[in-house]
Amino acid sequence: MNRRGFWGDVRKYRTLLLMLAPAVLFFLVFAYVPMAGIVLAFKQYNYGGGIFGSPWNGLDNFRFFFESGNAWMVTRNTALYNIAFIIVNNVLQIAAAILLFEAVGKWFRKISQTFMFLPYFISWVVVGAIAYNLFNYDVGTLNVMLTAIGLEPVDIYNTPSYWPFILVLVSAWKTLGYGSVMYLAAITGIDTEMYEAAEIDGANVFQRIFRITIPNLYPTLIILALLAIGNIFRGDFGMFYNMVGNNGLLFSATDVIDTFVFRSLTTSNEIGLSAAAGFYQSVLGFATILLANYAVRKYDKDHALF
Amino acid sequence: MRNKKSFMLLFALVLVLATVLGACGSSSNGGNTEASDSPSNGAAETPADGGNAGTAEELVIKMLLVGGKPIDYDAVFAELNKTLKEKVNATVEAEFLDWADWTQKYPLKFAAGEDFDIAYTANWAFYNDQALKGGFLELTDDMLSEYMPLTWKAMPKVAWEQSKVNGKQYMVPNNNPEVTDKAVLIRDDLRKKYNLDPVISPETFANYAKTVAANEKGINAYNAKAADGWKWHELDQILLEQQNEWNLVDYSMPLAYKLDDAAGKVFNVYDTPEFKQLLAYYKDLADNNAWSKNVVSNKNDVWQDMKAGKTASYAHNLGTLAMNLAELRREQPEVELAIADLTPDKKKIAAISTQNGFAIHAPSKKAERSLMVIDLLQNDKEIHDLFMYGVAGTHYEPVGDDKFNATAGTPNYTGFSNWGANSPLNRKDASYPAEADAIAAAWEEKVYHFDLETFVFNDANVKNEVANVGNVMLRYAIPLEYGLIPDIEKGHADLIKQLQAAGIDKLQQELQKQIDEFLGGK
Repeated sequence: MNRRGFWGDVRKYRTLLLMLAPAVLFFLVFAYVPMAGIVLAFKQYNYGGGIFGSPWNGLDNFRFFFESGNAWMVTRNTALYNIAFIIVNNVLQIAAAILLFEAVGKWFRKISQTFMFLPYFISWVVVGAIAYNLFNYDVGTLNVMLTAIGLEPVDIYNTPSYWPFILVLVSAWKTLGYGSVMYLAAITGIDTEMYEAAEIDGANVFQRIFRITIPNLYPTLIILALLAIGNIFRGDFGMFYNMVGNNGLLFSATDVIDTFVFRSLTTSNEIGLSAAAGFYQSVLGFATILLANYAVRKYDKDHALF
Repeated sequence: MRNKKSFMLLFALVLVLATVLGACGSSSNGGNTEASDSPSNGAAETPADGGNAGTAEELVIKMLLVGGKPIDYDAVFAELNKTLKEKVNATVEAEFLDWADWTQKYPLKFAAGEDFDIAYTANWAFYNDQALKGGFLELTDDMLSEYMPLTWKAMPKVAWEQSKVNGKQYMVPNNNPEVTDKAVLIRDDLRKKYNLDPVISPETFANYAKTVAANEKGINAYNAKAADGWKWHELDQILLEQQNEWNLVDYSMPLAYKLDDAAGKVFNVYDTPEFKQLLAYYKDLADNNAWSKNVVSNKNDVWQDMKAGKTASYAHNLGTLAMNLAELRREQPEVELAIADLTPDKKKIAAISTQNGFAIHAPSKKAERSLMVIDLLQNDKEIHDLFMYGVAGTHYEPVGDDKFNATAGTPNYTGFSNWGANSPLNRKDASYPAEADAIAAAWEEKVYHFDLETFVFNDANVKNEVANVGNVMLRYAIPLEYGLIPDIEKGHADLIKQLQAAGIDKLQQELQKQIDEFLGGK
């Protein structure tokens, strides 16, 4: 079949392979090699034995997570938050990208894009501090303003029901600029002839957006959504931990798998238990992405990841 | 066209970066596995192999310390190293884990098998935990007497006994008896302003806090840094443990015994009438705004808030409060503070020697020289002074042989855990508040010794339960205690129910079993 053979192919595509090499190396070193560490989930870790020499203890490490009675709550929170993030963030990012694309005036476009991008560079630690200064009961900006106009202050840090909204809002604010760049790039790639043809046919701005731009964004949207779905059982630790911290009152609405595991296990320093929780997340995430990809394939073969 | 070119350039740059990072990652990865795969097995590495027992080869000893890196670290350690090199041909290099997140980083240093020789440790800083997990080298009497002659002579035998875990020595404890009880620092000027009685009991403290909260705008009458995840805070310690003469076995689980109970019967502190009374007391304070409604999210340094006049009381151990008091007297003489002991007549628990100490990291290849260094840090006058107080004349002014005066440079060399070298050579701050001394002297007289003083709980069989119970304390007990749950009855019932679901009974049985065995062996 192949006259050149394997090494011939390697020679022929050497430039492309070279370009691929760093990514392969990256995943090899940071994803595949550490995967051997999964064995820790089934071991009673001690320093003497290390990763491979420690004694096995079966499924004991998983007991902590499931017997705590919190497994369902934190798994549900993690999944729901991530679904909300995927939907809200993508809708806003697409909207922002379209607005930026349609905006006239180069300066206006560049400046608004810069401002949208800025929050992406602010560390979650800082965002947490900003949020505390906005929302705290005694001297928070929000409550000072509310009391100044004669309204009752709101006790945000003791009321779990506000938090899903705050967290979704903050996540949208932080990722808007970064995400919209990807969609903007996709929009820029759309064949301009289509727009010209539409204009000649007398399509107005909205028709252009809904008939041309959005349908052409589907492939990008599906790929990004599939990638995000693979991480649906991983909470954004930096975000949840810095926004909520150790405030026990809010846990019912804000605790995700990552913060729960972190809180339970950092001080007790049980590596096996943490590994078990990570393993649980990975298995769930793997199953979800297979399912999601299968669903996409059923719908449209070309858009699936694999 | 130009766009495409610059894009390619950027892409190439990213690729190069990725390769470099990848390479770094893989090489440090390799180092880690190597280190964690070959830790020595404690006692196996006794001086018998004597490879570096002499001092012929110059060694760099790495220390792991807790606390912020002092500003003048370089200057002081340069001096220190000059002297150390003369005496044992070694220099030390310290790594500091900042107070903000040391509880997370400290265990990781061991888990990752990083390269260090001496680690600060203490009963409140993972000593038992790391010793049981094999993070520390076992120290035999032979090693101690051979490499630490000064310490071996100076240290009382009971201090060694107290620092053993399962009968084995893993720590060179500090040599400085003190009481661990907590006291409260209050604004005495505010107390006088409102003509309040001196604060000497839980009731007078409540009165003080409520009066300040009602009359002083913009001041929190009491404050705590609850956001850092402590499950058992200072006020609990004062009002529940000290007040009732109980002792909590471990601050991450709510199980205690009575000090004078020879049988060491363990009970759940949350399930006692005393705790319910305390909840009512807390709720009263919270409802009167004695602390911020957002106290569990507070991320500020409470002492700094107090210095800034935003907080009117906080609880800590006596030594820290005395230092705070001295600091404020120097910097803001117009503000009058006082140390209030809310439980003056109760039995006091002496700090066991593991309150501070140094241990040797199990994989260290420089254990012998490290012990020599610790020996000098603790018991050589010149080196001890340098390590504890900095450079004479810059960071402190020596007064005689056992006192010092603070100088303008003092804040540049303080605030980290050099306490492992505490010893009878310690100097006292000449401006150390007399009232703190008086309280300390009064406490010493009431020190109570009991059999379980040196008991150490091994949680290997119940680690699931420990993790879950700790989580319940944080989620249900802390908000309840700070009065954030409107209905105490219901909140308390919830707490008990959740504790049971988390396995508190199993934990209690295991603890009781170990205590019975411990007492049986006495």
